[in-house]
Amino acid sequence: MIQVNNLTKTYQDLRRGSFTAVDHVSFAVKPGEIFGLLGPNGAGKTTVLRILSTVLKPTHGTAVVAGYDVVRDAADVRRSIGFVSNNTATYDRMTAWELVRYFGRLHGMQADSLDQRMDALFGKLRMDDFRDVPCAKLSTGMKQKVSIARALIHDPPVLVFDEATLGLDVMVARNLLQVIRALRDAGKCLIFSTHIMSEVERLCDRIAIMYQGQILDTGTLDELKQRHGHADFEEVFFSLLSQHEASASSEGNPTSEALTLEDEALSLESLTEHAVPAKQASPSAQDSLV
Amino acid sequence: MKKSQANHRQVAVKEHSDDNQRPRLSAIGMIYLREMRDQFRDRRTMFTIAVLPLVLYPLLGMVMMQVAQFSQQRPASVCVIGVEHLDHAPPLLEGDQFAKGLSDDQAMQVDEYRWDELSRNDSSAEASDAMTAGEQANQWVKSGRYDVALVIPPHFQRDELPGDAQITDLQNENKASGDPSDPPNTSTADNAHADVAVTPATANDVQLVFHMGRDSSAMAKGRVQSVLSAWRSQWVIKRIESNGIDPKSLAPFNWSPTDVASQRNREAAFWSKVLPFIMLIWAMTGAFYPAIDLVAGEKERGTLETLLCSPALRSEIVWGKMSAVFTFSMLTALLNAVSMLVTSSLVLAQVDLGPLSSMGSPPLIPMLWLLVALVPLSALFSALALAVAAMANSSKEGQYYLMPLMMVTLPLVMLPILPGTTLNVGTSLVPVTGMFLLVRSLIEGQYGVAMMYLPVVLTVTLLCLLGAARWAQHQFQSESVLFGAGDRWEFRLWLKHLWRDRKAWPTPAQAYLCGALILIALFFARFLISEIPTGLAGLAKMILLPQMVILIPAVLMACFLTRSPREALRIRKTHWSVLAMAVILGLTLHPTYLMISSFVQQMSPPTPEMLELMLPLSTLVSESPWWMIVLLMALLPAVCEELAFRGFVFGGLVRQGTLRAIVLSAFMFGISHGVLQQSIPAFVIGLLIGWVSLRTGSILPCLLIHLTNNSMSTMLQRIAESDWPIVNLFLHSSATGPAYNPLWTLVSMGLAATCLLYFGNVQSVSDEADSSDQEEADATALDAAGLASA
Repeated sequence: MIQVNNLTKTYQDLRRGSFTAVDHVSFAVKPGEIFGLLGPNGAGKTTVLRILSTVLKPTHGTAVVAGYDVVRDAADVRRSIGFVSNNTATYDRMTAWELVRYFGRLHGMQADSLDQRMDALFGKLRMDDFRDVPCAKLSTGMKQKVSIARALIHDPPVLVFDEATLGLDVMVARNLLQVIRALRDAGKCLIFSTHIMSEVERLCDRIAIMYQGQILDTGTLDELKQRHGHADFEEVFFSLLSQHEASASSEGNPTSEALTLEDEALSLESLTEHAVPAKQASPSAQDSLV
Repeated sequence: MKKSQANHRQVAVKEHSDDNQRPRLSAIGMIYLREMRDQFRDRRTMFTIAVLPLVLYPLLGMVMMQVAQFSQQRPASVCVIGVEHLDHAPPLLEGDQFAKGLSDDQAMQVDEYRWDELSRNDSSAEASDAMTAGEQANQWVKSGRYDVALVIPPHFQRDELPGDAQITDLQNENKASGDPSDPPNTSTADNAHADVAVTPATANDVQLVFHMGRDSSAMAKGRVQSVLSAWRSQWVIKRIESNGIDPKSLAPFNWSPTDVASQRNREAAFWSKVLPFIMLIWAMTGAFYPAIDLVAGEKERGTLETLLCSPALRSEIVWGKMSAVFTFSMLTALLNAVSMLVTSSLVLAQVDLGPLSSMGSPPLIPMLWLLVALVPLSALFSALALAVAAMANSSKEGQYYLMPLMMVTLPLVMLPILPGTTLNVGTSLVPVTGMFLLVRSLIEGQYGVAMMYLPVVLTVTLLCLLGAARWAQHQFQSESVLFGAGDRWEFRLWLKHLWRDRKAWPTPAQAYLCGALILIALFFARFLISEIPTGLAGLAKMILLPQMVILIPAVLMACFLTRSPREALRIRKTHWSVLAMAVILGLTLHPTYLMISSFVQQMSPPTPEMLELMLPLSTLVSESPWWMIVLLMALLPAVCEELAFRGFVFGGLVRQGTLRAIVLSAFMFGISHGVLQQSIPAFVIGLLIGWVSLRTGSILPCLLIHLTNNSMSTMLQRIAESDWPIVNLFLHSSATGPAYNPLWTLVSMGLAATCLLYFGNVQSVSDEADSSDQEEADATALDAAGLASA
């Protein structure tokens, strides 16, 4: 369903010159599977997912989503995915109903089938209480529901969740994870990116650990634990990161430029503390991504 | 190598096939409706666009009415001191008014005082009397009790006015002869403020005391002055009659002004200036705020990415948003115009504004032209505002960016309302200004003039519109524009980046900067060469300075901002046949060049003063040795201008789009010639040379074309005068000097076209669309695709 081959994205950056945010990343996701993209802030997760949603164009490499190339058939790709990210906000001056309807119409859905689908979706997500409230007046959790409804309205085969639990309280986050599981059971192909390890452990069928633009390892939770000889997933994660650091410095390759030590300490800290929104914890690391 | 580059290009074009899908009207409509609804729900936008105009003009009208009523209710108050001295004079006063026939229609409140009332305590000394009465008058006017005070001195009573009595007072006699035109002198502001410095010399004058600091007093002074001069005329007539002279002999003739402009014309003249100005200003304002909100505001709120990952194509998003901005721009302009018209026609019916009374009510039918013209201009502003607003990451930043845009556009709107600006070859080429002037001539009923310039104005406007729309499109395709929020800008870092990330060729920004630097430096350099040179050294200086100003920025930037100055200036080897063809093209193009240039001179002839100024120059040219002239006027400009315009500027722009590179480099090349008569032919030739440069990938053929063309221009006279028999085949002499035979002109055009065909098929030296940087390749591919679709 999703095929990513040697995906690379380079930016021109004032400080670093040419900066590689995503470095030859490859992975594949099947239908009925939740693929977890785990990494600290600035690892390049958002860039990968933005390329998958065709908002950004890759410098090299290819990505095929639901049979469409993200560069050549960008509009078809966008029609086959639902993208929820903490960067995709809701329109303040539109009600929940209007917003979801608007995107349904943009997907080319007919009015009557759209209304049926919306009724069902609003019921399932328990959004009927605030369907005519302007999004500006909604709480973060409600807004997230609107975003999910917006992403699901055209019943896409592929769903992408980028840091979707960021800033949500425990209740809402738990609710979201349930929705995602239900979607997997419905046979959807899901990509879930996060910096929170417990979410990945609980949710994902397969996991890719991303750091400094590269995927360090991919596999199921058990495979990763076995391969790196740690029973604890957190240990697996940190050993992979430190191995990468060591190899990078021994090669004399100054990739550690991407994150200074200070930033790193901050972002690792944010990995273990669920509730702290990453944006507050390490703004510099977050900014350096974009 | 060449093949792989070609492949790369093809891939780049193919990669964007998705974005070149035709935008669907339905999707544009949906986005448009959403943006419109969004804006209508925004209180701030609605206030600026709908509420402000509806409230502003009625409020202004109300204030005007109030002021007018206020000034009507309170007539000017005047006090006349020394009424008892007026016994022998023609009647000045009539009740509490000035006498009929002296005063204008508007009422003035006149209070009369006797001289002795004010100076009763000391009636013996006349001088001190005058001072006392004068002091009183000063005080009254200063305190504001009266607007104006008129002090009639005592000797009016005693028939002691100059020319009145035969008594010869030496002092009075001198005064009368020295200043015959103005006997009862009116005082100046200084007198009013001075401490009653009534010297004996002016003691006989009527004192007119007023206060310049108060408008009511200054206005009353003017009116009382006209009363006084009418009064004096009556007095003069009386005297002349008593001497047995017919007063009619004073005025041997009269004149009566006849304005052939109909009332409609006069009104049109006023409204055709004011209304377009108001509407354009509001069209701009009306475009700016929605544009900021729809792009920068959406980026700030994070909704832009939501929209970008929806199935809507980028082009659909741009068109939808642009239509919404355009609608608001039109709405704002129309609402303001209508509100102003309604208010002003109501107010003007009530209030007489004196000098402004020619305003009348605007002619409505011709104003429809304004609506027609507003459409492309509104669209232009909308596209520009959208493109500029896309660079901002927040609404606040957007306002910073739109300010410079406003500053650039405002002069274009101001220019047409300056007195004396009319539609001609020059102004019709200026965007916005040309359209404004066109509308004005339509409103004023000059359809002939309007039709003559319509194609030019329309072309300029449409080209600008197309450029702006493409820029807006491009902004929405650019990742660095849409997602470039992260970097913090620092001067030191930026300098480091400039050096570290140098490329083999200039960036578009550097190319624009280079062009701007050259044009600005040329502007100042022209002030240094104020006089026409008389010697060869002066001529050399006059040519060298601008050429150095053109050359130096390009060469310096090529050396410091690129890795390979040679590559940046596009000095690349070509096959010898290309160079030979370039020389032939230069020779065969010259008759066409002369034709264009004489056509432009006919359309917009240079002033006789200019021609006279140039005369010593042309004699100087014809007297100098030919190799010197070729060196100075052909080779030097060819080298400098080609290196700068077809080298650095073209090289920087060509990877962004070949058409843009050709047109912009030709445009800068044209402007650099300074005078319109040279700029237009230079622009046309610049387009051709630019195309050759694109085909050959080098400036060497361009240099040869330019050199040949310039050489022919400077040497034509000498060639015609030479006794080579072959010359007669090509040239004949005309009133303005040697000219090409019409037959040769025709043949040369055919030959030039053949040369161009040759260049069209030439194997290009380097593929300039090749680029290691993805984004640049993207941009090129976009432009190539855009060209293909256009």
